[in-house]
Amino acid sequence: MITETYTLTVREVKKWLSRKGSFIVSVITPLFWLGLFGKSLNFVSMLSPSNIPPQYQAMLSQYINKQLISLFGTTSYFTYLASGMFVVFSFFQSVFGGANLVFEKRLGYLNRLLMTPTPRSGIFLSKVLGTLVRILFYESVLLAIAYALGFAFKPGLTAVNFLAAGIAIILIGLGFSGMLVGIAFNIDNIEIMFAIINLINLPLMFASSALFPLKQMPSWLQGIAKLNPITYAADIVRYNLIGTPLSNYVESWAILIGISIALLIIGLFAGINAMERM
Amino acid sequence: MEKAVVVKNLTKAYGDFVAVDHISFEINKGEIFSLLGPNGAGKTTTISMLSTVRRPTEGDAFIMGHSIVSERYKVRKLIGVSPQDLTADDELTGYENVLIMAKLFGHRGREAEERVRWSLKFMDLWDNAFKKVREYSGGMRRRLEVAMSIVHNPSVLFLDEPTVGLDVQSRRHIWDLIRELKKNEITVLLTTHYMEEAEELSDRVAIIDRGKVIAIGTPEELKAKIKGERIYIRLRNQEGLGKLLEKVNEVIPGSSSISQGQLVIKVGSSSEVLPSLVKVLSRYDVIEIKIVKPNLEEVFIELTGRELKEEGGFDKFKFVMNRRRMAR
Repeated sequence: MITETYTLTVREVKKWLSRKGSFIVSVITPLFWLGLFGKSLNFVSMLSPSNIPPQYQAMLSQYINKQLISLFGTTSYFTYLASGMFVVFSFFQSVFGGANLVFEKRLGYLNRLLMTPTPRSGIFLSKVLGTLVRILFYESVLLAIAYALGFAFKPGLTAVNFLAAGIAIILIGLGFSGMLVGIAFNIDNIEIMFAIINLINLPLMFASSALFPLKQMPSWLQGIAKLNPITYAADIVRYNLIGTPLSNYVESWAILIGISIALLIIGLFAGINAMERM
Repeated sequence: MEKAVVVKNLTKAYGDFVAVDHISFEINKGEIFSLLGPNGAGKTTTISMLSTVRRPTEGDAFIMGHSIVSERYKVRKLIGVSPQDLTADDELTGYENVLIMAKLFGHRGREAEERVRWSLKFMDLWDNAFKKVREYSGGMRRRLEVAMSIVHNPSVLFLDEPTVGLDVQSRRHIWDLIRELKKNEITVLLTTHYMEEAEELSDRVAIIDRGKVIAIGTPEELKAKIKGERIYIRLRNQEGLGKLLEKVNEVIPGSSSISQGQLVIKVGSSSEVLPSLVKVLSRYDVIEIKIVKPNLEEVFIELTGRELKEEGGFDKFKFVMNRRRMAR
């Protein structure tokens, strides 16, 4: 099974590498979020009136910075947003990985695979792993861009921090691409697939701590965000890269791992069931 | 003789619609066997059941003695399938596409590479093996589909409409290669709606219509079902057909009819009746006379009252529709 999965994953990666336009299209969305949204929301200048006497200016900006730190854990909203976008981007890529499979079913490639002795779980996993390779590549690009735009890493950053953030991002990718690939195996109509993608895409992004802290949200939304693995992944990434305090660090990991693995397994069974049922 | 494929009462129903209706047939080892029928007759559904992708609603089939219902994994190792869809990845080379298939069938390293080379050479694609598939012509793509299905040396090869949409030259090329396959002792099950294809290639043919096998035999046996030849006559003035029919019935009694705007005369041998027919026709404005020797198309018309292929230009549309049906 390992060789078959590997063979098909390499196929996914080769196909992706030969699609020349996809790189720019994929990077451009998070780039807009970071560049336009993240950079233009400069709270210090937004909240400072221009007509106050200079002696109060320093005091006011000190006050605003204090508020920002208590809210975001950093004075740079850009840094806060960028760290959330790392997780959201992994989520977006996973979600769209499912759409790709619906196209492939149309072209008849899946049928061809099903006529071979390839283990059905291998067919499923190659789709998930193919998405994961893409995520890892784009995340590195994103990190470099964020750094260039002034991402404020915490002092005393170690390789372990990077590793932990990476694993959290990978878990989000595994969970959501597993779930979406599982859904895609059961859907033949690309429009329905995109409807499902739209249904989960934005709500899951907003109902999480990726863009704004939970404590700013109404309590019902907080309730939803606390079930959302994106929240835990974003908290873990921030704790590791920018040093935002996280009181329930171990608990966050446990919940993230639990939900991601659960989504992956549900997707796996849904996918295999669809392949065997036809 | 040993049987490569035994199909027993195979049935597939989608709700009320019965796509394949209790079909049974057997294929001998090393034979080229055709399922001939119009689009939508159930050929592709039959192939997808025999290749274990779809489960039959009823009945069973055995590939080299293994059940397609209870021994699906064993069956998958024995078969090769070249589907009607063009499945090869555009972004990869022909070589890469075939190599993926070799690996999925458990071949590794040197051995896999040797097989890929053999398969591509066999299908006359070696010169273009390292080009991206998007640069391939229609005929090359079809041949690549077959190359992808024979790389593991299957016992039974399914070819679903292997020449659909191709020009005459590419079609003949593929026919030659399919005949070569026979020499390699591969049993071939071919589906087609081209009667020339079935006639040219097959040892035996099953004619399938609306999910049922309506006739089975060697092309010669099937053609023997129609006695003699047919003469088709078309007039400039269609109203004259009735009158002509009466006149012809006087000369050649009881074997003529009017069908689709032309007079059809069934005769044992056209050379015997032509002299008297010409006399009758001299008073009519004839625009076309066609003498047709027995062929599978005629057999299909005889059995179903319909033509095998609809009016020209249908291929593309039907093809897409078929694909849509498959995708469901």
